Amino acid sequence: MADKLLSVETVDVGYGHVGVIENLSLAVPKGAVVALVGRNGAGKSTLLRAVSGLLTPSKGRIVFDGRDIGRAKPHAIVDAGLLHVAEGRRLFRSQTVDDNLELGAYGTSLSKADFAGRVERVHELFPILKEKRHDLAGALSGGQQQMLAIAQAMMRDPKLLMLDEPSLGLSPLLVDQVFAAILSLRGSGTTILLVEQLVERALEIADAAYVMQNGRVIANGPAAEIAKSEALKTAYMAV
Amino acid sequence: MASTAPSPTRMRYLPVVAQLAFAAAALSVPFFLSGGSYLLYVATQLGVYVVAAIGLNLLAGYVGQVSLGHAAFLAIGAYATALLTVDHQWSFWAAAVVGIVLSAGLGVLMALPSFRLTTWYFAFITLAFALVFEKMIVEWRGLTKGFAGVIGVPPPQFFGFELGQKALYWLVAGTAIVCFLIVRNMVKSRFGRGFVAVRDTPAAALAAGASPQRLKMLGFIVAAAFAGIAGAFFAVQKTVVTPDDFTADFSIFFLLTVVLGGLGTLWGPVFGALVFFLIPELLHGLESWRMLVYGCILLVLMLFAPQGLVGALNAGVRRLTARPRGAPGAAAATSAAAPVAHPPIAGAALAVEGLKKRFGGVAALDDVAVRAGPGTCCAIVGPNGSGKTTLLNVVGGFYERDEGTVQIDGRETRGMSAQAVAGLGLGRTFQTPRLLNDLSIVDNVLLGAFTRERAWLPEIVLRLPRARREAAALRAEALGYLDFVGIADRAEDLASEVPHGQQRLVEIARALMGGARLLMLDEPAAGLSMVELDKLEQLISRIRDLGATVVIVEHHLDLVASIASHVIVLDRGRVLAAGAPSEVFADPAVQRAYMGERAVQGAPAS
Amino acid sequence: MDIDTLVRGLVNGSLYALVAVSFNILYRPTNVFNFAQGELVMLGAMVFASASTLMGLPWIGALAVALVAVGILGLIEERIAVAPVLAKSQHNTGWVITTLAVSLIISNLVGRVWGPDPIMVEPPPLLSTQTLDWTGIQINSYQIALIIVTFVMVLAIERVYRTRHGKAVLATAEDREAALLRGIDPAKLSRWSFFLGGAFAGLTGVLAAPILYASTALGPSLLLKGFAAAAVGSIGNNRGALIAGYLIGLTEAIGASVLSPGYQEAVIFVLVLTLLLLKPHGLFGRPFTRTV
Repeated sequence: MADKLLSVETVDVGYGHVGVIENLSLAVPKGAVVALVGRNGAGKSTLLRAVSGLLTPSKGRIVFDGRDIGRAKPHAIVDAGLLHVAEGRRLFRSQTVDDNLELGAYGTSLSKADFAGRVERVHELFPILKEKRHDLAGALSGGQQQMLAIAQAMMRDPKLLMLDEPSLGLSPLLVDQVFAAILSLRGSGTTILLVEQLVERALEIADAAYVMQNGRVIANGPAAEIAKSEALKTAYMAV
Repeated sequence: MASTAPSPTRMRYLPVVAQLAFAAAALSVPFFLSGGSYLLYVATQLGVYVVAAIGLNLLAGYVGQVSLGHAAFLAIGAYATALLTVDHQWSFWAAAVVGIVLSAGLGVLMALPSFRLTTWYFAFITLAFALVFEKMIVEWRGLTKGFAGVIGVPPPQFFGFELGQKALYWLVAGTAIVCFLIVRNMVKSRFGRGFVAVRDTPAAALAAGASPQRLKMLGFIVAAAFAGIAGAFFAVQKTVVTPDDFTADFSIFFLLTVVLGGLGTLWGPVFGALVFFLIPELLHGLESWRMLVYGCILLVLMLFAPQGLVGALNAGVRRLTARPRGAPGAAAATSAAAPVAHPPIAGAALAVEGLKKRFGGVAALDDVAVRAGPGTCCAIVGPNGSGKTTLLNVVGGFYERDEGTVQIDGRETRGMSAQAVAGLGLGRTFQTPRLLNDLSIVDNVLLGAFTRERAWLPEIVLRLPRARREAAALRAEALGYLDFVGIADRAEDLASEVPHGQQRLVEIARALMGGARLLMLDEPAAGLSMVELDKLEQLISRIRDLGATVVIVEHHLDLVASIASHVIVLDRGRVLAAGAPSEVFADPAVQRAYMGERAVQGAPAS
Repeated sequence: MDIDTLVRGLVNGSLYALVAVSFNILYRPTNVFNFAQGELVMLGAMVFASASTLMGLPWIGALAVALVAVGILGLIEERIAVAPVLAKSQHNTGWVITTLAVSLIISNLVGRVWGPDPIMVEPPPLLSTQTLDWTGIQINSYQIALIIVTFVMVLAIERVYRTRHGKAVLATAEDREAALLRGIDPAKLSRWSFFLGGAFAGLTGVLAAPILYASTALGPSLLLKGFAAAAVGSIGNNRGALIAGYLIGLTEAIGASVLSPGYQEAVIFVLVLTLLLLKPHGLFGRPFTRTV
């Protein structure tokens, strides 16, 4: 594929002596939504952490937008347009919603007007953030925090958005809201790599999917096919 | 960092031989020197510093509490001895005892802030204390005679004989050797394992039933008492005690000594003092540059050799004597293919009712009930963030609950600390194994027996028969548990050298070693290979069949289905379903929680 | 309490508050408490004294030299003594020893270069340390200026935390990893904070010099009282540091009329320690620590 935005090529990643990911390859085409599924401990979050520069792969290459980012610092990767919304809504809880959005644009040279434009855009996407703009991020509900986390990443107008378990610990109603938000991002052409434990929902909105087990990809292909595959059931229910 | 030597059997006696040789060399020094020589004076002084450094190393190196005011403890010992012998004509021995007791008492006071404040906060307070104390000595003229100090401290008398320079040297050197042995015996005992646990992974100490407060207190008392002894000798050796002897620089000197030698190594303070003592002698002409040189050495050491001389040496020796990977070790012969026999375990029932726990606005646990009886395995499953680990932490006494009851073996645990709950027979493993990386595998297992050891501190220090017997018996038992979990061949390896899957097994062995009757395992299967997973399944089944109560948090539904008789599904802090695995996994609500809205079409085969 | 005691307490308290704030500036993005901070303050006073008395620079010029020199030294300290330690592990507390080592090096080098004698330093033009008897109150214009400047500086620092960079510093303190994922470079913030924290310490030294003289003895005592003010006012809380600085300054001034200097320090030490045992996070706050 010529228009691969992100390509992970035969990487090994681990913590200290402990290897988590072995010889893993994965590609995210421009404009697509790619789901990455697999049981807990399969290595999905570890992969995202390696892509965003929090971990350094011991082997292989990670190419984003034509640049090898395998050894780049996290902030350089963010500057290149790759945003990672980490698991567990990692916000700055003691700062206000507005401050969190402003920090989303930290280090960009946006003009005042452009900045205001971005804020307006995320307010359109998540009206609740406008309503609660002066509240502390830590005082928001779980779903609102997730939206703020995504909105914070959107402040940079990312080329690629990586979402790690956006539905984690949310009630079904809030899950619906978060997925609606992802759909609307998809509609606006943002490329998304989605890690999600609600496999069915993830595969519904994804174009392609990868199934991980024990640090490897055991299946990949169009999302609709993966949804029906044996590999998916193996990954979730069996050893 | 730790002292545990690599011990293929023939090497076991090497440390003892080295210690004997060193002691003999130290004690023979006076034979080569004349009575009034400057060198003998310096050698005596060196012995005094070694005593104090050994104590500081125990505190800073093993317990992990960096004291920047060690000179103050010496000052107390020195002033008490000097004032009582000069002004009140006490005998040296009685005065020294008072000095030691006062110094140890101050150690108790200084331990208090370390209970509630972090390490660096505490370091600051000790530094402040040393500076304030230095001024107090000058100020409290009525007692300390101010700047002039106490002059003419008489030498100790022994049955009416005045000890000469040589005898004083022997006294000091002998004391230093005794202090070394005390620390050596302590560090090798449960106290040493407890100290390292407090320093590196307090959660492991709590889970083993060890009280970090008491261990810290012990470290402070020993360090302060040793400094008191050193102070008493300091007074008689110098015969003059003045405020200038105990400046903040002197505290820095001791810190540098132990950092140079190697924090948390047995020989560190000895070598550190030896080398360090030579530097001022060598730099005699550069007296005024001394503190500057100290500062530079301290900086360079921390950056490039934080383990000091002995640490670097140990690492080198380890590398040379390391067995090639996979080769059978000393203990491997005992590891048979057939499962190791183990007496039955009297399981402790767990009964949790109406448990509630909130973090800020989020309900982490909401009306959760769990029942697990002896000889059964209860599994807790649920999506990430559903409260499983929180549940373990509340049951284990790591978090306080908001509401509800938790009974272990019929005893309500409300208000109990984690170590008290561990005392009821609760053993647990952590999601990420909490091992003491600097200790061997078998020492890690032995930490589990912390509360089971009966030998008292004096018995351990003196290596009395009961303590030795008990240590040998517990060690054999620990090796037995390593055999039980199937990794006896790694017993002498450092915990950090062992792969992830085996670290989990070490934690299980540690829990069993603690006499666990209720075992809580937090995601034991995460990150295991297929083969390891198989072994884990067999191991947990065997522990369950021996009669223990097993509570397991796990995502591997296959594993859960094969070992658990009861499954509880948590979802956002609430019990979504409970019952036999086959029923629970067939429940559409459970599948929704796991895979999403419409996963219900194909129920799992298992 | 008579007015003279009050003035003395407020003047010294201002200095303690300034030192405490300079601690906080470094602490917020790094969680490092710089044991060499007292020596940075001292160096500020010494550089200023040399620049103004020996080189004959005007007050403002000497101030600039002192701020830049101490700021750069702070930056060097961060590079050689702090960043390498934190690079090994964010939870490594080896910096306790390395920053202490830096403090030894600075204090001894300064002792070599400048010698032990205190240097008298003139206050800036228009201000004077000549005490006026003003309606019965013994006060001089420099003291009044110092108290005002302290308030202004603390408020100014608080303003800095309202800028985008300031918010990024707070964000890093709260969740370093989340900050990394938002394009914030904590290493850069740490370098800047050491530079600014150094310069702020230098300023404190310059302000202290006309009152306490410039000498190597300045370091340890300001280090301890500054630490006490930072701890009592809750680490990281600048307004808390301001109030705590005055509390300590006043306690000391009151004590001085009763006790000799040595006992004074002992009494303050015991008071601060007791307070920390009862309230480990200080008077004004929730714990300002980073989530793991």
